Amino acid sequence: MNANRIFIGVLIGLAVVIAVVALVLLDTTGKKGSGLGKEYLYDVKDLAKIDPNLILYEESAQSLSTGFTDSHGIALDSQGSIYIAGDRAIRIFAQSGNLLDEIELTDAPRCLTVADDDKIYIGITNHVEVYGQQGKRLASWDSLGERAVLTSIAVSKSDVLVADAGNRIVLRYDITGRLINRIGAKDKERNIPGFVIPSPYFDLAVSRDGLLRVVNPGLRRIEAYTFDGDLEFWWGKFSSAVEGFCGCCNPVNFAILENESFVTCEKGLIRVKIYDPEGAFVCVVAGPEQLIEGGASRVSEFGAGSQTGGFDVAVDAQGRIFILDTINNVVRIFTKVKAGQ
Amino acid sequence: MSENKNDITRRHLLRDGLWGGCLAGLGGLAGFLVGKLKKTNTVWQIDPYTCIACGNCATYCVLEESAVKCVHAFAVCGYCKICFGFFGPEPVEINEGAENQLCPTGAITRTFVEEPYYEYTIDESLCNGCGKCVKGCNTFGNGALFLQVRHDRCLNCNECSIAAACPSGAFKRVPADEPYMLKEAGHS
Repeated sequence: MNANRIFIGVLIGLAVVIAVVALVLLDTTGKKGSGLGKEYLYDVKDLAKIDPNLILYEESAQSLSTGFTDSHGIALDSQGSIYIAGDRAIRIFAQSGNLLDEIELTDAPRCLTVADDDKIYIGITNHVEVYGQQGKRLASWDSLGERAVLTSIAVSKSDVLVADAGNRIVLRYDITGRLINRIGAKDKERNIPGFVIPSPYFDLAVSRDGLLRVVNPGLRRIEAYTFDGDLEFWWGKFSSAVEGFCGCCNPVNFAILENESFVTCEKGLIRVKIYDPEGAFVCVVAGPEQLIEGGASRVSEFGAGSQTGGFDVAVDAQGRIFILDTINNVVRIFTKVKAGQ
Repeated sequence: MSENKNDITRRHLLRDGLWGGCLAGLGGLAGFLVGKLKKTNTVWQIDPYTCIACGNCATYCVLEESAVKCVHAFAVCGYCKICFGFFGPEPVEINEGAENQLCPTGAITRTFVEEPYYEYTIDESLCNGCGKCVKGCNTFGNGALFLQVRHDRCLNCNECSIAAACPSGAFKRVPADEPYMLKEAGHS
């Protein structure tokens, strides 16, 4: 009888101890994590690391705060003034960071360029507006329709080239706004694959060789077109390694240096890199460790995905690289400090 | 000494007090009923713009198989050939080989549409709501993949154990007649 009582007592005691331990270990707050195995980890930290020997640039000035909450595009004029498109305005800064002027707009600008005659061409959602240096609007071109999302604009002598990500096409205008032709529509006979644009990033520029360079982000390459729309050649390859373009759609933006090399910006793994005129990888200007707080990529922090937050880039005649950080809405200036191999 | 009309007598006090008590009781009852009605007409859902795909949905649900599943907003999707919700960050090759896939349970199906576009669909019977694909899609793509509580499975517990363990406060009560919080094209 006594033995039974002792046995039952021990059982009850054990049950109480187990219950107490379970209660102590039970995590109802999620602080201990999901408990999922390592196969469930999404980790791109190793990809975000870049060999320091490949980074030939350093930040050479204090970053310039644009004061915008939603910045999109950067351009420089021939005097080196910095033009930023953001919110519902264009802000013009001296390289010292002083605000020189502001042009208020009726809608949000997405892209801009400053022509040799100092006229400012601005892509505003679905149409182009042209402004003089005093901030006076000189022209507002016809809308390209509801689907249009203008993401880049370039001026070359008498031509204005406009990238429309919504309609996946490049439009060539004369400087009065008259449409001349469309470039890049899918055409098997002309061996043109068509632009693949999963997210609203679609950049272009005119090179010194007289050819138009257009990013085909979904194919992760930069294509060269004549102004008449013939595809001449392309370069670029998919790779998460530093030499290639990573993710579903990159590069998001680019600029062309005086020596006709390319400066490219990628989203996802945020990297700014240099490629030579033939498209061979040269070096890194800045990687995630230099550009993102904490050095990590933007893993899953934004429900909007990578539809936002693509950095823009501009270059000056001295080869300095001006990166518009669209997350923090600041401009960061990088200068080459090491010679390449 | 004459009695002033405005003087409060014991009878007045009792009568007014009784009225006040009745009114307060009625108000309380109405509030309770409205609250209860409201509570029964709401369900749990995940705000996809607040969710950080931490993985807790896969393990904190009281059901053996989580009621949270990945869903795909086709209107937001880029139909990319190299989808980072489907492929790991460094795929060996761009094909459907298991070694190239991101999903640990193989719950995403990749179907060719036309060059270079592919469609991605979720097999809910395999998805455990871990959110790994959501991280890949948010990091590199448009964020078309996201987690939602599926109401054909959810028990709608008063105290949802996933909501209690959600580090970003993404779990919300939503009206039962609009039980999903879906992503739409153009939202940023």
